[in-house]
Amino acid sequence: MEGMTTTTENPQIHVGASPSHAAARVEHATKVYGVGDAGVRALDDVSMTIPTGRLIAIMGPSGSGKSTLLHCMAGLDTLSTGTVRIGDADLATLNDRELTVLRRERVGFVFQAFNLVPTLTARENITLPYTLGGRQPDEAWLAQIVRTVGLHDRLGHRPSELSGGQQQRVAVARALATKPAIVFGDEPTGNLDSRAGAEILGLFRRAVDDFGQTVVMVTHDPVAASYADAVVFLADGRVVDQLDDPTAASVLERMKAFGG
Amino acid sequence: MLRMTMTSLWARKRRLLGTSVAVAIGVAFLTGTLVLGDTLSANFRDLFNDVSANTDVVVRSSAVVEAPGATDANRGLIDESIIDTVRKVDGVADAEGQVVGYGSLYGRDGEAIGGNGPPRQAGSWITSPALNPYKLVEGRAPELADEVVINRGAAKSGGLHLGDATVVQTPEPVDVTIVGIATFGDTDGLGQTTWTAFTLRSAQDAVMNQPGKVSSILVTAADGVSSAELRDRIAAVVPANTEAITGKALADERIDDIAKTFLNLLRTFLVVFALIALAVATLSINNTFAITIAQRTRELALLRAVGASRRQVRGAVTLEALAIGGVSGLVGLAGGLAIAGLLKGLFDAFGGALPAGGMDIQPRSLAVGLAAGLIVTLLAAQAPARRASGIAPVAALRDADIEPSRPSRRRYVSATVLLAAGLALTLSGASSGQGALIGAGSIVLVVGALAVAPIVVGPVVRVFAIVLRRTPNGSGRLAEENARRHPRRTAATATALVIGVAVVSLFTVFAASMKSTIEDDIAGDFDADLAVNTAAFGGNQLSLRIVDELRSATGVGDVIGLGNSPALVDGKSTMVTAVDTNSVLSAIRLDVRDGSLADVGTDGVAISESDAKDNHRSIGSTLTMAFSDGISQQVTVRAVYADSALAGSMLVPRAMWVDHVTQPTYRTVFVNAADGTSASSLRAAIEPIALRFGGDVQDRAQYIAAATNGLDMLLGIVYVLLALAIVIALLGIGNTLSLAVHERRREIGLLRAVGQTRRQTRAVLRLESMIVSSFGTALGLVLGGFLGWMLVIAVSTGDTSLAVPVVRLAIVAVLGALAGVLAARRPARRAARVAILDAIAAP
Repeated sequence: MEGMTTTTENPQIHVGASPSHAAARVEHATKVYGVGDAGVRALDDVSMTIPTGRLIAIMGPSGSGKSTLLHCMAGLDTLSTGTVRIGDADLATLNDRELTVLRRERVGFVFQAFNLVPTLTARENITLPYTLGGRQPDEAWLAQIVRTVGLHDRLGHRPSELSGGQQQRVAVARALATKPAIVFGDEPTGNLDSRAGAEILGLFRRAVDDFGQTVVMVTHDPVAASYADAVVFLADGRVVDQLDDPTAASVLERMKAFGG
Repeated sequence: MLRMTMTSLWARKRRLLGTSVAVAIGVAFLTGTLVLGDTLSANFRDLFNDVSANTDVVVRSSAVVEAPGATDANRGLIDESIIDTVRKVDGVADAEGQVVGYGSLYGRDGEAIGGNGPPRQAGSWITSPALNPYKLVEGRAPELADEVVINRGAAKSGGLHLGDATVVQTPEPVDVTIVGIATFGDTDGLGQTTWTAFTLRSAQDAVMNQPGKVSSILVTAADGVSSAELRDRIAAVVPANTEAITGKALADERIDDIAKTFLNLLRTFLVVFALIALAVATLSINNTFAITIAQRTRELALLRAVGASRRQVRGAVTLEALAIGGVSGLVGLAGGLAIAGLLKGLFDAFGGALPAGGMDIQPRSLAVGLAAGLIVTLLAAQAPARRASGIAPVAALRDADIEPSRPSRRRYVSATVLLAAGLALTLSGASSGQGALIGAGSIVLVVGALAVAPIVVGPVVRVFAIVLRRTPNGSGRLAEENARRHPRRTAATATALVIGVAVVSLFTVFAASMKSTIEDDIAGDFDADLAVNTAAFGGNQLSLRIVDELRSATGVGDVIGLGNSPALVDGKSTMVTAVDTNSVLSAIRLDVRDGSLADVGTDGVAISESDAKDNHRSIGSTLTMAFSDGISQQVTVRAVYADSALAGSMLVPRAMWVDHVTQPTYRTVFVNAADGTSASSLRAAIEPIALRFGGDVQDRAQYIAAATNGLDMLLGIVYVLLALAIVIALLGIGNTLSLAVHERRREIGLLRAVGQTRRQTRAVLRLESMIVSSFGTALGLVLGGFLGWMLVIAVSTGDTSLAVPVVRLAIVAVLGALAGVLAARRPARRAARVAILDAIAAP
């Protein structure tokens, strides 16, 4: 793991080699909910660069702004000021339709729960981004993903016929299906038992190691964070620290230091 | 519990709006119909009471041939010498003879005033202001033979003024000069009736062509003599075949007539459609209740968990229904009054033959409307309330779905039984021609269709899916799955549309079959080159003289006039066709099965096979026949012909008819060209004559079009009335979809997150709505088409053929599917507005 540059005042995170290989870049991101004195600063001048081919975990206590940051990076929410780039695209310049297409083609998602459309089969859920875009899926790639997540005998099942772990694996497969620039996970293991959670995290790890996929996930679980190449800590809307090559123990230690 | 129910209702007010609107529309239609009926009744009552307000006794002929819609015209005349007899009766203040008959007044533009509908009357001006319901407002009473007073309404619509010269067809064209304009009471006329009044003498000559005869004698009583008393005194002295009745009795008789011939029909007709609308509303509300109960399973289970009894839960749901029914019932009442006012205005504006006057709002109409609203909602809430009370408290803790998604075994059995019973009933009704059986069968079939809908919805949607899966972006696939996830709900939503579409297609098939039957019949029977014809109702009538004039025109061969009059045949009112039986075959192709038309002579008749069969008549049967003069003639059946639309059930020789009816006229005159004359030069030769007598020259195709015109008009009215039931059904579909959007917020958010555009979100909803509406439309088309077919068989007299109006039915199908798009507008907008993050974060 290469070093990352920070400043004490306002940490500038570069996780990875150089900005030119960035999968996503956040600059001076601020998000304020409400107006005036009643306004809440969920993000306060956050800047960071996500290098390609890395698994990054974002951690922080409740209300630290980690989910808001993830949503804004993924084009689900908009910043008050500052910029987010996915590849070359400046999200602030995109309209609703363009954002939708970006989410469909360049971004993958795994939410904590309710990841799948209950009326569609596992296969239909995996290919959903292709279907919505009116495109044919890359069958060879699809087969590889399905093999990786181990769902080849479950493709015709509907979500209600799958276990929680299997459902999350379908969600991971869908997130990877379009070879997106970046995959976001919002507490992807939050609803799973530890064994199923480990499976999902293992899948993320393999996606990064075997396919060169970039993954950013929000988690509050030190064990989950230990699968990442680097962990970024947020508190009160600011980046307060980062940790390369984390272990569960080292993460836990840092968390204690920040009162997380 | 009451307070809680109301708070809960208020919290869900938006979602309940659709429900309330459905009830309100149904109630509004029903109330509007009842109020309109009462209003028209009251208006007619006032009108007829006004006519005879100052008339204590009326003396008239007692000979009358009852026929629907034309009672007065079919009463005989009395001798004017009776006037003197009456005047001598003790207690008579004044008595005056009056002539009232047919007379069509022509306006400044040379067209008959009045269009379709209102009666066109001509007669005598009553000189005694007390007896005359008309009052001069301009000019003076007629004095010379060609002078007339017309009513102000006719003057206005015909653009006629004092001193103008115009024509009255009585049915001879009579040149007249307008010397006076009169009002009827204070209004422009007796409803929309046109009234042309000559002097009595002139009316007897020009209108009736019966010098010395009057239609009736109007009598006023001297002070202190009651109407009844005077009637009895007069009755004692007038000759036989003459009767005396009080003015009040005459008014009641007329009110009764109009009720029997028009108002009751109108009311029944409209109430049937109001009930259809209410039935649709019931289905729609039932569905909404079922869905809201399903969505509130947790809330209701929580109530049960904290100690509410089953009864209380059921009571709460019932209370909700009552509140919704009550509120929407009240809104419906207001709407109903507005509808009645609007329809009344429409009738007035279109020059219908309805009198003007204020609204008559009976408490009964309001009570019935409100009760209907309450009953409909309570009925609709029954099953959902029962289901709600069955929710176990433990359901509060899990995501239980209380909507059964698979049809139960019981449903299969009951649907099969209902459909089989319905089929059996309608089929036996059709084959035996019993309308009541078909009616009962229809209702059973509709219920059967509602029962079978949830079973067939899955397979049908799968058929639709063949097309849907071809849609780009997967919208069709998502819509298909959404439509299939609650088959029962989808079916229930669609069934509201089934009823409306079924009735539409029933009428469409039936009307098309009738039309093609009429067309075939006339096309087969019409054997003349041209016809001079009059409108089917309310139009002009043709003078007998037209035949002579046509004959003397160059290039004209045979001319055959056809007159229709009611007659009493063996005491039964029968419409007969008067014609020259010797030459009729040159105009109408008749298949004479028995006897010969040449044998009819002057004391014989020819009858149709149906008439022979129904009344057990055959060649040689003797019948007693009487027209409006009351004189009985013994006639013999000399020929039997195969049923014919043009000839009707009985042909009588012209001579037997012409001297026995009050104003003999022809309905149609058939004209053949002389040898060597072309159709176009024949038309050119007779057109001026036809125009002068107020008839239209028609060839076979034009004649057929004119004959089927009324059917198209009726069908148009039916469509308009059914539009309401369809609007209610669409509201129901929209409402169900809104509830579904509410339910699927998370899913919509997820789809948007992984790349569904707002446009696609809307498209999915629209497609789902189209699936539902297409399913309802398809089921309705099948049901309605079948019932229409059965009805055609039932009324068939042998040569009636089923016509399937493919184009019209296809239009219904396409409109039905497109209506789904319309219904989805609001829910689709709501779905597209779902905020992704909120939706995903939702519990």
